[in-house]
This record gives sequence, C-alpha cells and structure tokens, in this order.
Amino acid sequence: MLAHQRGTELDLSWISKIQVNQPAVLRRAEQIQARRPVKKEWQAAWLLKAVTFIDLTTLSGDDTSSNIQRLCYKAKYPIREDLLKALNMHDKGITTAAVCVYPARVCDAVKALKAAGCDIPVASVATGFPAGQTHLKTRLEEIRLAVEDGASEVDVVINRTLVLTGQWEGSDFIKTSTGKETVNATFPVAIVMLRAIRDFFWKTGNKVGFKPAGGIRSAKDSLAWLSLIKEELGDEWLKPELFRIGASTLLADIERQIYHHVTGRYAAYHDLPMS
Amino acid sequence: MRIGVIGLILPPTFCFLEMMWRICPALAVGCTVVVLVPPASPTPLLVAQLAGELGQFPGILNVISGPASLGPVLASQPGVQKVAFCGAIEDGRALRRALAGQGPELGLALGAESLLLLMETADVDSAVEGVVDAAWSDRSPGGLRLLIQESVWDETMRRLQARMGRLRGGRGLDGAVDMGARGAAARDLAQRYVREAQSQGAQVFQAGSMPPDSPFFPASLISDLPPASPCTQAEVPWPLVVASPFRTAKEALAVANWTPRGGSASVWSERLGQALELAYGLQMGTVWINAHGLRDPAVPTGGCKESGSSWHGGPDGLYEYLRPSGTPTCLPYLSENLNYDTFGLAVPSTLPAGPETGLSPAPPYGLFVGGRFQAPGARSSRPIRDSQGNLHGYVAEGGAKDIRGAVEAAHQAAPGWVGQSPGARAALLWALAAALQRRESTLVSRLERHGVELKVAKAEVELSVRRLRAWGARVQTQGCTLQVAGLKGPVLRLQEPLGVLAIVCPEEWPLLAFVSLLAPALAHGNTVVLVPSGACPIPALEVCQDMATLLPGGLVNVVTGDRDHLTRCLALHQDIQALWYFGSAQGSQFVEWASAGNLKPVWVNRGCPRAWDQDAEGAGPELGLRAARTKALWLPMGD
Repeated sequence: MLAHQRGTELDLSWISKIQVNQPAVLRRAEQIQARRPVKKEWQAAWLLKAVTFIDLTTLSGDDTSSNIQRLCYKAKYPIREDLLKALNMHDKGITTAAVCVYPARVCDAVKALKAAGCDIPVASVATGFPAGQTHLKTRLEEIRLAVEDGASEVDVVINRTLVLTGQWEGSDFIKTSTGKETVNATFPVAIVMLRAIRDFFWKTGNKVGFKPAGGIRSAKDSLAWLSLIKEELGDEWLKPELFRIGASTLLADIERQIYHHVTGRYAAYHDLPMS
Repeated sequence: MRIGVIGLILPPTFCFLEMMWRICPALAVGCTVVVLVPPASPTPLLVAQLAGELGQFPGILNVISGPASLGPVLASQPGVQKVAFCGAIEDGRALRRALAGQGPELGLALGAESLLLLMETADVDSAVEGVVDAAWSDRSPGGLRLLIQESVWDETMRRLQARMGRLRGGRGLDGAVDMGARGAAARDLAQRYVREAQSQGAQVFQAGSMPPDSPFFPASLISDLPPASPCTQAEVPWPLVVASPFRTAKEALAVANWTPRGGSASVWSERLGQALELAYGLQMGTVWINAHGLRDPAVPTGGCKESGSSWHGGPDGLYEYLRPSGTPTCLPYLSENLNYDTFGLAVPSTLPAGPETGLSPAPPYGLFVGGRFQAPGARSSRPIRDSQGNLHGYVAEGGAKDIRGAVEAAHQAAPGWVGQSPGARAALLWALAAALQRRESTLVSRLERHGVELKVAKAEVELSVRRLRAWGARVQTQGCTLQVAGLKGPVLRLQEPLGVLAIVCPEEWPLLAFVSLLAPALAHGNTVVLVPSGACPIPALEVCQDMATLLPGGLVNVVTGDRDHLTRCLALHQDIQALWYFGSAQGSQFVEWASAGNLKPVWVNRGCPRAWDQDAEGAGPELGLRAARTKALWLPMGD
C-alpha cells in the first residue's frame, strides 16, 4: 500500500525558476528509446516486470459486470500458466498492479477480485472523469462513494481551470493525462515530469509516483518506459508503489512477446486468454 | 579551379569519419586524394578498395596505412598541392615547421576539446545531457571544459554526478553502452591528466559502470582546479570534464576565450539576448545554442586560433580544395641553408646618406602607429633613394619594439572597428578613396621619382582609388542562413574578422599593392599592421597622412625598416591572427616555419611577384576569403 505523503507548503518560487528547453528534451527522448535495447531472457524478465506495473483498465461506456469480471480474472492471471511455468515464474505471484474502472463499477470489481481470491487494489477514476467539469460537491461525493464501495486508489482529474489560473494541488502520484486526450503519454512530456519528481524528492525527501496513461500499446513501448524510469529516477522508482502504466491492450502484446520467447513462434490473439 | 592532389593525414581516433568529411568534397570538385591512416583502422582501406572498383577512374582515392612519421614524407612528395592534417595540436605544429618551404599549402584541423557555457537561466537537466553528448559518449571528439555560473553550481554538480552514475561503458558495438574505449594511449593520457589535476589540488569524481580492465576509463568530472595550474592550459582529454565556476556573463566570455584553442562551444541559456551575445562573442569556429555536437555536411565546421583554420562541410569546406584559376601550381622552393634562428635577427646597418641635393630638405617620415606619426624606438632612420640614386627621403627604422607597439595599437582599435556597422566601414573606405584622389599629383610625382612612367603612375593611383571604392562597396554584412535537414531552426554562417592582420607588402606596385591588400582587410573588420615596399615606401606613407585624419587611431599601422627583421618580428608574434607575406622566397619559408608558434594562417608568395594590376590577382575573391573567418551558429528552435 502507498505510504501517505506528508506534503509540503506550496512554494511557487520553485516553479518560476524552472527552465525547460524543448529541442533538447526532444533529443533526449529520441536517445532514450534508441539507447537501451533489451534482448532475449532479459527482455522476458523486463516484460514480466512491466506486467506488475500495469493498471489494467477498462473505461468504456458499455462496461458491465461481465467484462469487469473477465478483466479482474485477467488481472489475477495476466500471463498464461504454462508460459509462466516455462519461465519458472509461476509461483512468484505475478499479477497486475491494480484494476482501474469507473466509479459505478467499483462494486463489481471488488466482488470479482474477491471471487478470484486476489488482493490487488481497485482503482477508481473519479471527479467527473474525463473532463472534470462538474461541481465540487458532486466530485467529492463521487470519491467518497467510490472509497465506500471498496476502491483503495483514486485517479483524480485536476481542475484545469484552477491550473490555468495558477492554483495548485498536491498528490501522491502524477499522471500524464486522463488517457482520453488526443495526445497522451509521450516521452518528452514524461522526461519533464520525471525531472520534476526527482527535484521534489531532492528538496523535500518525499517520493511522488508517476503513471503514464494512454497510447502505450506495444511491449516495446513498455520497455522504453521502464528504461526511462530507470535512467531518470533509478531502480527505487521501479516499484508498483511508485510507478504504474495505465493500459488495456498492452497486456495482450506483452503476453504475445512472452509466448514468442518461450515457444519461438508468433501467437495469434486468440491463442491467449481474452482480457 | 580545383587544386590537384591532396594529401590527407588522419589521427587514430575517428579516422573514418574525418576522412569521409574531407574526401567527399575533395573528390566532388575534382581533386585526387592520398590518405595516410594509422595502422589500427582498416575501414579507410575498405573504402579505397571500393573506390578502386569503380574501374573508370583508378587512383582517385589512395589509402596508405602507416605510422604518423610518414606524414612529412607524404607531404613533401612532388605533386602534392595541399596537405590536410587532422589530429593533435603538437603534431600539427611539428608538421607546419617541417613543411615550411616544401611547397604545398597546409590545412590544419587540430585538437578535440570543446566548451560548454552553462548560464543560470539554462535548462540545467538538458545542459547535463549536453555534457554527456560532449564528453561522455562515443560521439564526443574529446574532453570538455565546463563553465558553470556560480548560482547554479551546486545543483549542476549534483545532477552531473547523478547522471554519471547512469553511464555505462563497454565494448563499442554493444548497443546499450554509452562509452567505449579509445585505445591504451588515450587511456594513459586521461590517467596522467587526472593524476596531475589531483596533485594540483583538484577534486575528481568518477562514476559509471565500466569494465574494470584496460583500456576502459571511467567518465570523470574534475572541479576545483586552480585557474593558474598547468592543467588548465592543457587540452582536456576524453572522457574528462573540467568544471569551473564564473560569476557573470562577461566573466564567462573572458574565461571561455582565455585559451589558445578555438574549436567548438555551446551556450546554454533560455534568455535569447544573452545566448546570442555570448555566441557572437566566443572565439570559436562552431557555437551551438542549447545543444551540443550537432553536425551536418551543409554547415562549415572548423576552428580558429590554435585549433587550426581549415574547414570541412559547407561552402568553406569546398573552398579548401579550390584555388583561383590561373594560380600556378605549388612547387617546392625550399632553401636548405636558411637558418631559422638567425633570419632577420640582426639589422644590417645603413650608411648615412651623402649630402642632400635638391631644393628642399628631404622630408623625414616617422612610423604611423596608433593614428599618428611617431619616432621609432631605435631613434634612427634609413634613407630612401630614388631611381637616380639621389636621396628621396628618410623613413623610420622600425624594430621589434615598434612592431609590438603597432600590434597593441591594432588590438586596441579592433573592438571599435568590429562594432562599426557595415555602412560606417564602407563610408570610411570611400572617404579614404576620395582623399587619395585629391592627393593624386603628389603620389604620381613620388612614383615618378622611383622610375615609374607618368602614364603608369597615374593608372596606378587611379586603380588604387577604384579598388578602395570597390572594397568599400563589398563590405561584408553578417552572414547567411543555411538550411539544415532535420533541424528545426536556422544555422547562421557568420563572417567574422580575423582580428589583427599583419601584411608585408610586395616590392612591385608599391602603392597599388599596399592599397589592394589594405582595403579587403579593413572591409572585413580587421585592423592592420603593414610593412610597405622596401625600396619605395613613401607613397604608402603619404596615404598614411590621410589615414591620420580619416580613420580611427590604430586601425592601420605602418612600420618601415629592414623587411626581414620586421617579418621575423611579425611572424613570431603570438598575438597576430594572420600574416600575409609578399617578399622573398626565403622570407616566405621563414614565415611558414615561424607561424607554427601560434598556428596563424599565412599567405605567402614564395618569392614570385603578382600582377596586382590584374583584377583576378589584385582584387579577386581570394582576398576577401582570406581576410575573414567563418563561424557556424546553430539555433535549434521550439518551446
């Protein structure tokens, strides 16, 4: 479970001194993707590690208890049993980090996880996801109800009006975006966010987590993200307490890569359990 | 017109890359190339084999694999018209000395150190990435001098050390490493530098996961190195970074320019005005703003001061392998018995002139230094005789002290002259042309006394006036923008003045050559020290009288005296940025040899007279090219 942040006083002078040079950050982003390729059994290991960071997400308008149940089962058994056995990782308790659903579905998710015998947290998006343009009263009520239903993590949409007028809030995790925008998690943006996390840690000793969400679909991408965290923040942040990847189809691609590593053949989607 | 046969001598590191940068333009303009590579690199040999398979043109690219000592041998082969050398500074100096008098032109690209200027208004994290690119990656040519503004010293050091911890070393072909190894020699050099720095009181921080065995050397960050220590003067080897603090932007510029080398540098600041001001003020061949190490074939890359003055890439890279049409091929003119230690050392004493004949006493001229005529340090004059043998006048006997004074005056006038707008410079040159025209009758009579026919004398004066006007019109404005593929933002190719230009004028065409050499030098923003014709310096001194009233003091300085002695003083002077010599063959050889002192670019006539009245030789674009140096300024954009 996440340790709760004590937080610090808001000091805007920290922010005004920050400079970001976009072309240089773009160059660094390109470099990171190219510089640290991981192959063979190390790649398989990194992919399994990436699985443990996934917040398995379903945020569709037509979510019902049946697809939630399927999702939760997949969260408990993200990789097919025989593949894990071939890697000798079947008894390491590999599950995704959390399951992420709409507030109305939290009950279903909690029930499904209990039935599967899994203790991973249920995360709920809240506060008028994804636009955040609802009244403060209803937003607070949403959070309260979600927690009552059993959610232990909440992805809060910040009030962009407040942001654009310079009024800031604090948090335990920062997320690149809701995942529902046109441009979501890109490396240049992430680099700037990670540097901010590191600076905050150096100044206050508090560790803030990071979650990129939206647009991470391939296993190769996920490896690049792990590399990025390792390079910018170090191994300390490569834990589910401090790093999550918000994704839905990523897990399928990772499973296919693991299938290829174990069997030497490329799988079709239907070879592997649906999520 | 293409030059002919080029000899290329390459260093042990980056052999292949440096070779491709140079042979491609050389072959493109039609030269043929002979390359000398160190035995450890086989890739150039492979390229030569592929070139040989072209069939139709065997021999356009030839590669010899051999030790560095073959360099002078290659260079002194008959038929080699130009030698391009790329490598260490001391080797370049030795080659310059060895090639004096041999004939071929020499282009030097020396040293590999670069500079990074970190202002407090910079994106420090990105600048740290710039340091990694500059010094701790396989792309970096050499070590780095890092100048950090005091107010961001602590946070920069902290980020640097954290970043160094993530560097990985290993075999170069492993895709996941940042740094490979460059051989035992490079490792020993780095090791020696670190030891010396530590013994002089510096702090050394090393980090990164490297294989422990030789020849891998860990990335090192050296700080607290006293500015007066010998290590600060020496070139920083790869993969070392020497960090020093500074207080203000002005101090940064002073510290950055306080080095004999002038290769490449980057300025990191988010304030546009500050970044540009620093970029313009740095005495370097390439300046990047908020980036480091970017290269492109369309952009000229080179250096100034002791980093050598040869270029590759861009139009300047092509000019390296071209010379004006009609220039004769370079033949060796070596004089075996020239003693470099005694050339021009002693001034032969001149006998006093006989009793003066003529109506009025012969006018004595002083030296024209600092905008006025003054007596020479030696307090003596030499007589000038006309074509009849009669006394024409006295000119000052200038010596080493006078040269020193003249160069100092030129340096003092330089900032003001550089700061003048192109329009103001043009106006001054036109004013000088007008003054020359008003003085026509005096000048004609002086030339006639030296045996020049009236018609020719008149033509000479008229041509001089025309040349001044023409160069005034051609005054260079700040450079042009280049298009670079893959970069968002402009790259500026700036034309900057060299600084103080020393010119030893030829004996032929005493007035015309003087003006033809003076005008392009001034037009490009240089300040000048001239030694006029020995037999007929008086027309030049007449022009000085006009310059005294029209031009700012110190812009043009004219020193008369024994030409060999003055040439010696100029050639050995460490603070002259370029030397043009039009005199004897022996003098040319001495100038080439002595220029190795501060590696100033030289232009010699090898004892052959030039047709100054022909526009091709007297007012061609070659003069303009030699009177300025290029700087490439990279401005990546984006927010």
